[in-house]
Amino acid sequence: MSSSEDVRSCYTRRGFVGTTLGVAAAGAASLLLSDEAAADSKPQTERRTYNGSTDPYPLPWLDKFGDHHQPAGANLDPSDIFHFKGRIVRCANFAGMGTDNKGNRIAFGAPSTDYGIMQGEYFAARAPQTGAFVHI
Amino acid sequence: MVPIPERALVFSPDGRTATLEMKDIAVVDEPKFPALDCESTPATLSFKMVCTATNEKVLYDDPQKQFRVEGYHATAQMEAQVNVPSIGFSWKSDPLSTSKANFAIIGDEVNGRYYNPMK
Repeated sequence: MSSSEDVRSCYTRRGFVGTTLGVAAAGAASLLLSDEAAADSKPQTERRTYNGSTDPYPLPWLDKFGDHHQPAGANLDPSDIFHFKGRIVRCANFAGMGTDNKGNRIAFGAPSTDYGIMQGEYFAARAPQTGAFVHI
Repeated sequence: MVPIPERALVFSPDGRTATLEMKDIAVVDEPKFPALDCESTPATLSFKMVCTATNEKVLYDDPQKQFRVEGYHATAQMEAQVNVPSIGFSWKSDPLSTSKANFAIIGDEVNGRYYNPMK
């Protein structure tokens, strides 16, 4: 997964103008050079697609804070990824104890101490992707 | 949500136990969460979580929200360590075996375009 693969973000007005000028310049050069010379000077442009990001698609449903997420609980979607199939683990409402760097005993855990693991296939950028993610 | 590094997540061969161990994840410490405009401080979190299926089955199926989960209720335990350098605070939990989670499930899910209503 890499947001750098999201080529839509490259599609700025400046990027469009640059691409257009590049294509126009290559066209003009091919008129001036022989076929052989033109073949040697093919523009080394990066192949671009417009398929969208390969990042996972979020759940459409919002929680009470407006996040694309459902609380842990019975009959609620445990995944944070939509268009997903695979293994899930969801654990919440932990209870335990710990000690801080001053020796104070401090409990941890609340309903919001919520961990969700998703491992498998998800659909993004118009193609199946695979990955493993954790909601912390 | 963050990507899990290779080898950090291990499922037992029978798929009934998941162990996730991650170190020094950059997080935001928000002691007053979910209060609006609560103070947040950069922190790091390391943790190990172990989740094991019980024999109690789980089936969630919601055609409206297009998801189905088939799996098991589970037990879960965690140990963790937090560092908040800017305020000189650190905290370490007691060993994993002393903790518990009041909600845990483990299983398989399909949702969205992978979802088909049960017949």
